[in-house]
This record gives sequence, C-alpha cells and structure tokens, in this order.
Amino acid sequence: MFRKLTFVLLILMLVGSACGPVMTPTSALPTFTPLPVSFSDGLGRIVALSHPAQRVVSLAPSNTEILFAVGAGAQTIGRDEFSDYPAEAKSLPSVGGSMGKYNLEQIAALKPDLVLAAEINTPEQVKALTDLGLTVFYLSNPKTFEDLYTNLETVATLTGHESAGSQLIASLRARVAAVDAKIAPISSRPTVFYEIDASDPAKPYSIGPGSFVNLLIARAGGANLVELAGIKDAYPQVSLEQVVSANPTIIVLGDSMWGTTAESVAQRPGWDKIAAVQNKQVFAFDDNLVSRPGPRLVDGLEALAKLFHPGAFK
Amino acid sequence: MVEARLAYRNPPRPYPPMKKSLPFLLSILFLLISVLLSIAIGSVFIPLPDVWKTLIGQSANPTFATILWDIRLPRTALVLLTGAALAGSGASYQGLFRNPLADPYLIGVASGAGLGAVIAMSIQWPYSFFGLMAIPMAAFLTGMATVLLVYWIARVGQSVPTTNLILAGTVFSSFASALTSFLMLRSSGDLHRALGWLLGGVSLGGWDSVLALLPYVIVGLALLTVSGHALNLLQFGDDQAQQMGLNVSRAKTFILIAASLTTAAAVAFAGIIGFVGLIVPHVVRLWWGGDYRRLIPLSIIGGAAALLLADVLARVVIAPQELPIGIVTALAGSPFFLWVLRRAKNQGYW
Amino acid sequence: MIEIKNLNVSYGSRLILKNISLHVKKGETLALLGPNGSGKSTLIRALSGVAPASFDTLSLSGRSLSGLNAAARARLMAVVPQTVSLPPAFTVWETVLLGRTPYLNFLGQISAKDEAIARCALTKVDALSFAKRRVGQLSGGEQQRVLLARALAQSTPVLLLDEPTTHLDLQHQVGLLELVHKLARDENLTVLIALHDLNLAARYADRLALIVDGEIKALGTPKEVLNPEMIAAVYHWPVQVMQHPFLDTLLILPEG
Repeated sequence: MFRKLTFVLLILMLVGSACGPVMTPTSALPTFTPLPVSFSDGLGRIVALSHPAQRVVSLAPSNTEILFAVGAGAQTIGRDEFSDYPAEAKSLPSVGGSMGKYNLEQIAALKPDLVLAAEINTPEQVKALTDLGLTVFYLSNPKTFEDLYTNLETVATLTGHESAGSQLIASLRARVAAVDAKIAPISSRPTVFYEIDASDPAKPYSIGPGSFVNLLIARAGGANLVELAGIKDAYPQVSLEQVVSANPTIIVLGDSMWGTTAESVAQRPGWDKIAAVQNKQVFAFDDNLVSRPGPRLVDGLEALAKLFHPGAFK
Repeated sequence: MVEARLAYRNPPRPYPPMKKSLPFLLSILFLLISVLLSIAIGSVFIPLPDVWKTLIGQSANPTFATILWDIRLPRTALVLLTGAALAGSGASYQGLFRNPLADPYLIGVASGAGLGAVIAMSIQWPYSFFGLMAIPMAAFLTGMATVLLVYWIARVGQSVPTTNLILAGTVFSSFASALTSFLMLRSSGDLHRALGWLLGGVSLGGWDSVLALLPYVIVGLALLTVSGHALNLLQFGDDQAQQMGLNVSRAKTFILIAASLTTAAAVAFAGIIGFVGLIVPHVVRLWWGGDYRRLIPLSIIGGAAALLLADVLARVVIAPQELPIGIVTALAGSPFFLWVLRRAKNQGYW
Repeated sequence: MIEIKNLNVSYGSRLILKNISLHVKKGETLALLGPNGSGKSTLIRALSGVAPASFDTLSLSGRSLSGLNAAARARLMAVVPQTVSLPPAFTVWETVLLGRTPYLNFLGQISAKDEAIARCALTKVDALSFAKRRVGQLSGGEQQRVLLARALAQSTPVLLLDEPTTHLDLQHQVGLLELVHKLARDENLTVLIALHDLNLAARYADRLALIVDGEIKALGTPKEVLNPEMIAAVYHWPVQVMQHPFLDTLLILPEG
C-alpha cells in the first residue's frame, strides 16, 4: 500500500512540476524578429537576440573582462561581486555572487537584455534567471585557445562589436604565435610547480591536466610537475614528497594574492632542499592571469614564458 | 449515603475548559505577518502601496511585477512549505523517539538526500526540465532509500525499537556525509554547486519547485496531523500504548514514513536547513503543552512562520548580499531558544 | 473466565515462561508471586499481548485472544503498570482520558460520555482534586492512583496490575490495594496482580500463583500455598507463617 502511495505521489509530483512553467505568472516575453545570428551556448541552449545587447549583466569576472576587451564596456550595466578588472568595472553596480548567491531582485531591477553567465554559475542559477524572463547566455570555460577565440567572437557578436572582436582575436593570435616562435627552438623544459594553495605545506594544491593553466605551462615551455607525476586530476592535492622528488626548477606562487611569498616558502619545513628554493626561482604570480577564462590568458602565457625562459625574452 | 452516591454519579468538572482556538489564532496571525514581511521586504525597495497594486494586477511597473511574482512569491511559498515540513516532522520525530534532541534528520534523510544530490550533480544532465529536476528527484529518492534502509536494519521481528532506529540512523548519516564530502572533494568543479545546494537553495527554485514540493508537504503533514493521538499514546512507551489499544508497530511505521517523506521532499528542494525542526516544536510545547494533537499543527504553522522570518533576516542582514538561510536559523535560533528555555526551566514541561 | 493452557514466552533463545496453565474465575483476584525474574511481569505482558507468546489456549470467556487486534484486546483488559516511565508533561486529566482509546476514533476525539467516564474513574481513586496537575509533579502514590484511574476508564472486565506497589511507601501500598480490592468487589472485576510482598498478597488475593523460574510451582488459596516449607524452598529463607492477630489473613514473618 505504501508502494502504491509513493508511486501516486511521484506521478503527482511530476504532473505538478510539468504544470509549473505553464502556470508561472511572468511578465510578457519580449517579442523578437528572426535574427541574423543565434548561438548555442555552453548548456546547449539556443539563445537568440533580436538586436545586439545594450544592457548586459556579467555574472563572472572573466565575462566582465571579455566584455570590456571587445569594446562592450559601455553596454555593461552590472557585474558580479568579484569583477575587478578593468578598473572601470569596479564602478558598476554589483549583483552579488559571494557564497554562490546572486541578488535576483537587483538583476531584475537592472532590466538587462542579456545576462552573461560562466561555468562558475550553476544550471539552477541560469534557470532562475530565465524564469524571470531574462535572456541568459552561458559561456563555457575554454579548453584551448581556439575555444577562447570562439568565446570572444560570440560575445563580440552578441554585443554588436564584431570588428573589434576580430581585431582582438587577431592580436591575441599574433602574441601567442610570437611566444610559440620563441619557445620552439628551446629544447630544455624546466620542471615547474604551480601552487594554488599551501595552507597545509605538506599537502599543497596544484593544477593538472584538464585545467587551462596546465595547457599554458606547456605552451610557455615548461613541464608541469603534476603531469610528469602522472596525476590526472585538474586540481589535485599533491604531497610534499612528490614535490621534493620531482625537484622543480621553478615554483610559481599562484596563491601570492593570499599572502604567500618566496620568503615564506623558504621557511617551510622540508621545502628548503628543493632546487627552485635554493636557486631563488620562486616567483609570486597573479593567478587571475591564468585562472580567469578571458583575454588575459594570453598575458598569463607571456608572463609564464618569461619566467621559464627569461633568456629568450630579453 | 444518597448524597455520596449522587456525588459519585455527577462529580464536578475539574477545571473550566481553555479556549481551544486561541493558540491556533495566534499562530495563524504570526504566520500572516511573516508572509507579509517576506513579500514586502527585499533588496529592491517596493513601497507597500505598490506591492498591493502589483498583487491585484493594477501596477504599471513590470519590474515590480517580475520581482514580486517571479522572485518573492515563489520564494515565500517555498520557505513556507519547507518550514512547515521541517517543524511538523521534527515534532513527530520527537514524539516518535521520545527524545527532545530528535530532529527531522535523525535517521539519515538529510545525509542520504545530500549524497543523492551530489551524485546527481556529477552527472552531466542536459539542460532540460527533467535535467534540472534530476537533482531534487535524486535527493528525494536517496533520502527515502536511506530511511527505508535504516528501518529495515532496525527491525526486530514485528517491532521497530527506537534505539535501533537512532543507532542505525546515526551510522548511515555519518557514512553518507563522509561519502558526500569525499565526492565533493573529488569533483572540484562542482564543489560550489554542491555547497550551494547543501547550504539551502531556496532562492533558486521558482514556481516549479513550489509545485513539485506542494503535494508531498500537504499529504505528509496531513498524515502527521492526524497522528497526534497515536503520538500521545506512544509517549507512555510501546507497551503501555499497545495495552491501551494502539497497534504500535503500524502506527510507528506510518508516522516514520510520513515524516520522512515530508522531510525528504523539503530537503530535496531547499537543501539542509537545521534548527527549525528541533526548536519550533519545543517552543510550541513550552507555550501550549505537549498534546501532540495540538503540537503538530501548531508546529507546522509556527515552523512556516519562523523560517519565513529567518529568510527575511537572511536577505536583509548583509544586504545586498545574502546569508545562507541555514546560518541564520543556527545563529538566531540558538540564543532565542536558550531564552525560552530559561523561562521554563522548572516547569518540567518535557 | 481467563483460560491459559501451556503458555510459553521466550526472549531470543531464553525461555522465560514454560508451560504456564492457569484458570482465573470471574470476579476473582489472583496474585502472581515469585522471586525477581521469575516471570510475573512477563505473564502480564503476554496476557496483554505485548510479549510474543506461544500457547495452546489463551481465552477470555471462551473467546480466544490470539486473533484480536490491539484495540479489541484493550476493551477486554486494562493494565496498570509500574510508574517508572511516565511522560511528566501530561496532566492527570489527559492521562486518564487516554484510557478511553479503545473506544475512540483514530483522531482520538473525546465525547461527553468519555469525559464522564474519566471523571468517574478519577473520583473512584480520589484523584479528581488534582486532575489539572502534571503527572511529573505528583508523588509515587498519586501517580499510581492516576494509572489505576486510567485503567478503570478503559472500562474492561479484566484488570492486570504489574507490581503496582513496588515504588510506594507503606500507606500508599495498603491504600492502593484496598482500593483495588473494593473496586474489584463493587464492579465484579477479574484481577490479576503481580506482587512481591507475601503479606499483601495473602491479605488481598483470593488465590495465589507462585511462579519460580517461569513455572507455576503452587496454585491455590493463601492458606494452601503459603506454608513455611514452600516459601523457604522458593525464597531460600526460613519463615514462620501464623494467623494474623486481628485480620482474617496470614502473616508471614522471616526468621532471623
């Protein structure tokens, strides 16, 4: 009897939920004419705009950087709490985002015609926004530079800056090619340890295959310690033993924004024997250059390449 | 002699009957005030006359309409249902286990649901209606599965000793929590999504979540409300309850399943919100006594109101940021309850 | 009226009651005596349907008890337990009303008739004056009277009492048993009462059953059962049995 009851309730639930969207009292959907361009976004949704977006809200720092880079800064009317680059972005109103919670009322009150989401936003957040009648575009994290260029092109088109976008992509390509050219003749690759957290210095966190940083390290002419150790996770926790035995030539402190310095690394028990520490090849680094999936990834590439092969970049 | 026999036949009534409806009227009033606050308060200031105009469809401001109809009202409904579900189940569990520390998560519903949600989040569902409903559905199913597993293990022949239930429930809770933590650590990409769900996702559900949750809460709480008499009997122990005519194992199973269904559904859509299920029944008990026929419905109303107030606080305290509602219930609930407890220390109310 | 043939109760692999056969006449008061752990309480629990038992016969007025559900059984027999685990928050009034459960619907709705019966029961045990007080605030003797009232409110022909005098002091012990004796006589109740005090059993019971290690060692009137040899054999202590100086009962005195 209990089984039957559960089945009935399950059906009721499914039926009830199916009725939900039909009964939702929303404001009238904006009418739009068939468009010159519609995109399939990172969640597989087809997003269509009748005209280039004039009021954009960005839900991630990377999206804010992309918007400003393609020249759409003036059309950006709101940003998430953590967007801080470029400096003009800071003066835009914040719509939340700390502790994963966005202020839906603020977003609605801004009346955007496009909300740019990123992979740090959940499908539930996207749905909550579409339930309000807003147009949301979900930009997946790029896995390669080509993906990055595609994202830039998409955002440029969505905001009506196709030519600025193409120019940006062209210049980025050129810079990447320049780095490739300088790195290509060099045969030796320094072993690099990229640290993202060492609250427990015996078990620091690093980056591995699947993360863009890993790609950048390789592209910049380095050999990622994590990849050499055969670890497959994108954000693994490694043991000090692994670091010591791999004996990296260079240590990049991606956690320098949280106060880690070369001096503090040298003081960690067990770290002093590592080649990078002994040769003073421990460098503070702005992690935002490699962790935000926007145009500054190329800045990150160049910065890493200069660290790994300073001789080639004199 | 005749007088004695007459007195024997018509003894005086022991005391004048209390106005039975007073606690209900007060609680409903409290609930209405909470609902009003929840609708009227938010990070965008909407003057009360505009709130009224928008609700009756006479507002010219579409933004107000969106905010009220698509953000505040579904959120109010979801919080109301969740608070009612948690407090009603909490009161039932306290009666079932005869334990003042019992809360709706005692025998593993929440940990099981959390595990199911985290597992479902690790699968790349398509962005579709069913894809998004997959998380709450998985949470609900694993929550119920955990309870049934605990029940099956705790059974001894015909009866279900409460001690066994608590022990098995604690074991499964710990196991599921550990597994959930492990999975969350492994899938660093979805960590924020899992955390967001676990801490309470009342802001995101929308009307879909409300409509999906509604039948469970209504049916579950209705079943618990009519179980008040059985719970009263169970306070005297299984033996005495049976000797007074209650089919104890059937009643306990019934209450357990109803309370767990309600809790699992609430957790599936609102995440794990603590303290409401534990504290609200105690407050009701302190003021209105331990008769479960009244305690359960009063806890239901009180729980809805209390969680609504907590949600308003969550939205207001660090506006425009928002605190996770579970933090508000813990921070605000504990001192409040200590204050209530101090006032009733010597009444032997439990 | 109560017919028991070959009743066995085991907890797990341990056999607590072995082949208990007993017949209780209507209106009779039968006391169950025996050392601790002999099975007195278990017999009461088995009769009231709370302990799983196997038997050849277990019937009341010829009707077998085995097919009955809890409510039907509760209309036939009411149990007065020891006062050990009472929820302190319930009032006396609420507690006694719960005795009406076998006659209520599942919501537990009380009618005026139920209230009248509850009031009557409280009057009989002289507890009406503190009907509004919470059970947790009462003394042991008062609590026991409330439980008796609850059992009376259940309006059953059979009353089972499980060591009701254990935690009471002298005046409450005697007072309670006097009350039970008087009520049983007035209303022709069949009473089965587990006691540990031999003198009280001799005074208030029509017949005694001496239970040792789960078996009935002796069954009969107090005069038949309570002889020094039997008592010494069961309780391992020498006693003297004599006629009570001013009551028509026996007096059992342990020797030094």
